[in-house]
Amino acid sequence: MPTTLRIALLAGLLALVCNFAVIGFIYYQTHDEALATVRRQVVEQNKVLSDVYRTGGKAALDDAIQDTLTYADPQSAVALLRPDGREITGNLQTVAPTIIALEEGYQNRLIRLRGQTTPREAALILHRLPSGEWIVSGRIAGEGLAIRQTLERSLLIALIVAVLLGLFCGLILAHYVGRRISDIATVANRISARDLSQRVPLSGAGDAFDQLGQQINAMLDRISALMSELTLLTDSLAHDLRSPVSRLRAAAHAAAESPDAAEQEELLGSVIRQADSLMRILSAVLEISRSEALTGRKQFNWFDVGELAAELVEMYDPLADEGGARIEYDRPSRPVPLFGHRQLLAQALSNLVENAIRYGSSGREIRVSVGPGERLIQVEVADRGPGIPAERRAEARRRFGRLDSSRSDEGAGLGLALAEAIAHLHEGQLKLEDNGPGLRTILELPVHSQQARPA
Amino acid sequence: MGRKILLIEDDRETASYLAKGLGQEGHSVEQATNGQDGLFRATDGSFDLIVLDRMLPGLDGLSVLKALRAAQIDTPILILSALASVGDRIEGLECGSDDYLVKPFSFAELLARVNALLRRRESRIDPTDHRLTVGDLEIDPLSRTVRRAGKKLDLKPREYLLLEYFARNEGRVVTRTMLLEQVWDYHFDPGTNVIDVHVSRLRRKLDEGFEKPLLHTVRGAGYMLAA
Repeated sequence: MPTTLRIALLAGLLALVCNFAVIGFIYYQTHDEALATVRRQVVEQNKVLSDVYRTGGKAALDDAIQDTLTYADPQSAVALLRPDGREITGNLQTVAPTIIALEEGYQNRLIRLRGQTTPREAALILHRLPSGEWIVSGRIAGEGLAIRQTLERSLLIALIVAVLLGLFCGLILAHYVGRRISDIATVANRISARDLSQRVPLSGAGDAFDQLGQQINAMLDRISALMSELTLLTDSLAHDLRSPVSRLRAAAHAAAESPDAAEQEELLGSVIRQADSLMRILSAVLEISRSEALTGRKQFNWFDVGELAAELVEMYDPLADEGGARIEYDRPSRPVPLFGHRQLLAQALSNLVENAIRYGSSGREIRVSVGPGERLIQVEVADRGPGIPAERRAEARRRFGRLDSSRSDEGAGLGLALAEAIAHLHEGQLKLEDNGPGLRTILELPVHSQQARPA
Repeated sequence: MGRKILLIEDDRETASYLAKGLGQEGHSVEQATNGQDGLFRATDGSFDLIVLDRMLPGLDGLSVLKALRAAQIDTPILILSALASVGDRIEGLECGSDDYLVKPFSFAELLARVNALLRRRESRIDPTDHRLTVGDLEIDPLSRTVRRAGKKLDLKPREYLLLEYFARNEGRVVTRTMLLEQVWDYHFDPGTNVIDVHVSRLRRKLDEGFEKPLLHTVRGAGYMLAA
């Protein structure tokens, strides 16, 4: 069964149930009220006649019935029946026991009174006398029931109309929902068929479907970005690993062939160095993936970024000094608290400083600063080296995106990528800017990222 | 001075290589190849050191570690792991291990750390503010002053910490990663020779002008302070 039809039927069914409940309520209310009044009158009449018989006997009863027939209102039914049901006196046109059940108590029956043309519903009470005859006290339910019949008819019609309308609305609704969903499903299908460029069309109404569509589109954007990054990564990983692996193989081969013990030791040392450098590349790649997978959130803590930067500057100052450069640090006068992963941020910042020393210094100044803000903290490392032209900055952030391909040994070109991954872990970003001349790398971190809120 | 070391490692090749190496250093090595067995052997607390692989069949290394610490067994534990990320290392240390070494490692690195841990256990009873001496070098941890042959050396705070760490591991190899972890408390692998630069600065202040050098470079492993 197609979804559209199912939704329409469901809507119809729901309309039916709801209307049925309402109509049922009205029906019982009116029905019960009309009958209850009539019944009260009948019970009263029966009681009067029974009392008359008890006190005055058969003769008094006959008189009372005659009086009732003469003076009572025309809605009233009264009769004295023989034990077999035939009428002795009374105004019943309908004869027991064909219509009226000869039994003690209350019953509802369609009866015709003498002088009337149509049978009408009446409430009756039969009471058996000790002699075997039956007193019948009754009353035509009359107007109350007549209104009820009209009402019943109207309610039935209303019910049918409501169900039809429900089905109709259901069909419209189902069609609308189905169309919106099928838009999304179509996109999902195309994506399954490996066309990641598809996007869910948005109606612009900003409703739940649009929100779903936006979510899916955002997810797709992220997936395609990751996919292309992954492809690039595997390509460059394969490319970058090839040369150390072949160097390692050559050194191992030469060591195995060499007859000279000293030379052999030398070559084996080189094998170990090559293996170490391979390991370093692999663990850096792993580290980036893990930062991106948002691991280690539980290791988030409050700490002073100003102090962390001071520590790293102190650590790297001698290294910069060896290269003839100087690290200047403008330490903020007050602590700069940040909720984050101290170790990873230390690693990110040390990567930036190492980069500045490696590529940007040669006798000049490296400036480190921490800019405290209400919501954002900016940790900046600025060098006076050649910098990176604006059009190549995206390339520089990528894994293995080392711009100077002639450097084969130091740095696998993962520094900026790792720093960026760590910034993302803190819901911040890594900015590369021109320092005129030189490069400014800025870690921009929210003081307290939403997801990293301590439990 | 041989010590009792428990090696919990499922990879037979690594285990026999390590057992052989530690045996040659004069330690007696007992081996377990899975977590349950290792935990069982370790619970009598008779070992001086436990070398524990993080990834084990059955009960994994961290569970063994937690179980031992929960049972109040304070034998020093060195974790070996192929999980190299900073987060993993810190998680390992936070679970109660005393040191964390990432695979693959050089045997020299492992040995240096094993010796440092054994040494730490030995010196646990010593008050930490005790005066340290190495040859004609004298260190007073309370006032943080250093004298060599009676002459006061002017060290920066970090250089002092570096020297104190060397002195507490006198005669033992200390690797670059150990220095980075213990003196700076950083657990990542810097891509530069930043540690060597610090050590060579310290060496200049420590050994320059003296006939006999105290701070030695151990090729392929790290450094050692010895008279």
